[in-house]
Amino acid sequence: MNDLNPTGPIPPQLPTPTYPIRAPLGESPEEREPIPNLFAATEAVLRQPRRVMYHLRQPGSGRIVIAMLFVAMLCAAGYGVVVGTFSSGAQLWIAPVKIVGGLLLATLICLPSLYIFACLSGSQARLMEIVGLVTGLLLLTTLLLIGFAPVAWLFSQSTDSLAWMGTLHLVFWGIATVFGLRFLENGFAHTKARSNAGLMTWVVIFVLVVLQMTTALRPIVGTAETFLPQEKKFFLSHWGDSLKSSLD
Amino acid sequence: MNSSSATPGRLDLRTLLQGQADKLRLWTQPGHSRSIVFNVAVIFLGAGLYGAAMGWWREPLQGFYVALKFPLIILLTALGNALLNAMLAPLLGLNLSFRQSLLAILMSFTITAAILGAFSPLAAFVIWNAPAMTPDVKSTLTYGFIKLLHVAVIAFAGIAGTVRLYQLLAELGGSKAVARRVLLAWLAGNLFLGSQLTWIARPFIGAPHLPVVFLRDTALQGNFYENVFATLKQLLGVN
Repeated sequence: MNDLNPTGPIPPQLPTPTYPIRAPLGESPEEREPIPNLFAATEAVLRQPRRVMYHLRQPGSGRIVIAMLFVAMLCAAGYGVVVGTFSSGAQLWIAPVKIVGGLLLATLICLPSLYIFACLSGSQARLMEIVGLVTGLLLLTTLLLIGFAPVAWLFSQSTDSLAWMGTLHLVFWGIATVFGLRFLENGFAHTKARSNAGLMTWVVIFVLVVLQMTTALRPIVGTAETFLPQEKKFFLSHWGDSLKSSLD
Repeated sequence: MNSSSATPGRLDLRTLLQGQADKLRLWTQPGHSRSIVFNVAVIFLGAGLYGAAMGWWREPLQGFYVALKFPLIILLTALGNALLNAMLAPLLGLNLSFRQSLLAILMSFTITAAILGAFSPLAAFVIWNAPAMTPDVKSTLTYGFIKLLHVAVIAFAGIAGTVRLYQLLAELGGSKAVARRVLLAWLAGNLFLGSQLTWIARPFIGAPHLPVVFLRDTALQGNFYENVFATLKQLLGVN
């Protein structure tokens, strides 16, 4: 690799992500390097996900999980402020509160089922490892959302269309979640699970719960007289109504 | 291994245009901050000159405005997506630092701007020979020709910059498949943001019945994609 110029420093390359990568965790000394703080955890989840996975299996992994969760919520709040700039005013604090709360609630609702699915699949993962993997999913997703934030902000200043902004945020969340779920899937592959059918089922459940959360906590992008909606709706029906009123 | 031990020499346009990926890779390493200044300068000069030629047809002041707007769009696209692009690269298998990814994109934009700059005398010559703008300019053959010329030059410059970026990414990552993946992700993001920035920064060629302005009053009303959607609806006769 890089034989063309042996004089220059060659950045350590990541393995081509043909998931799942099943080489035992901690094989490389780099993966065993401690994760001392928030910044290291953030950097590692992006560049050395296997290092995070390795440390999640070690005793005392709770500290890393808390650090990752803290950064994830910070990023979610940051993106929430950007979402709030579409309507401004009270939405500048309402949107971040709803996004942080919604993500936490959706995760808490889904965590028990993931643990059960993991056990049913024959996974040897401890509860803390599962919690850590889901926190990694949240961290990676919200980090990418922060990456999308400048683009989202620009569009929120240039359009009055609620449907357009809602769709854009959903697309950004979808792309970010795909990367987050890849982290989870890759981590799950190291837990000696016999099959990942349970994980795939859980992924569908998680996505549906988050999508429904966006409707249960509406409005996140637009405004309303009350903090929470007065009418209960399924998210598809809410999207349909929003799209229809936007096109009228 | 230390980056400062490598001596890449002075970054110059020739190296950039030739796409000497092994040399360019060294310029993405820490300790070569002058390469950022060089890239920004070429972008301002090259894209600025082409922008000036583009706007000149309407009025010299319009040329001056476009000379500022064109490089700004390029730089804002690079900066707006910098964080996202730096995150996507390692996630897609290319372990680049924030600085490396930003510089790789800046270098490709620099190549594009240099090509635009090289074509600016040609564009200026065409504009100089074109009849003055009239109220019905948009229905004339000249307007169509000039618009097509701009599209062709910008597309050529953009493609050349993209090809060089791909070569640099392959050099940085050691794998063409990874380079392709990262390139596609970056292109998608840059196109998405760049289109909207261009929409906000209109007018470029200008229109005789509209005043010469840096940004229109309606700059932040609606977006590029809504407009495309509305046009499609109109074409398909959907209400």
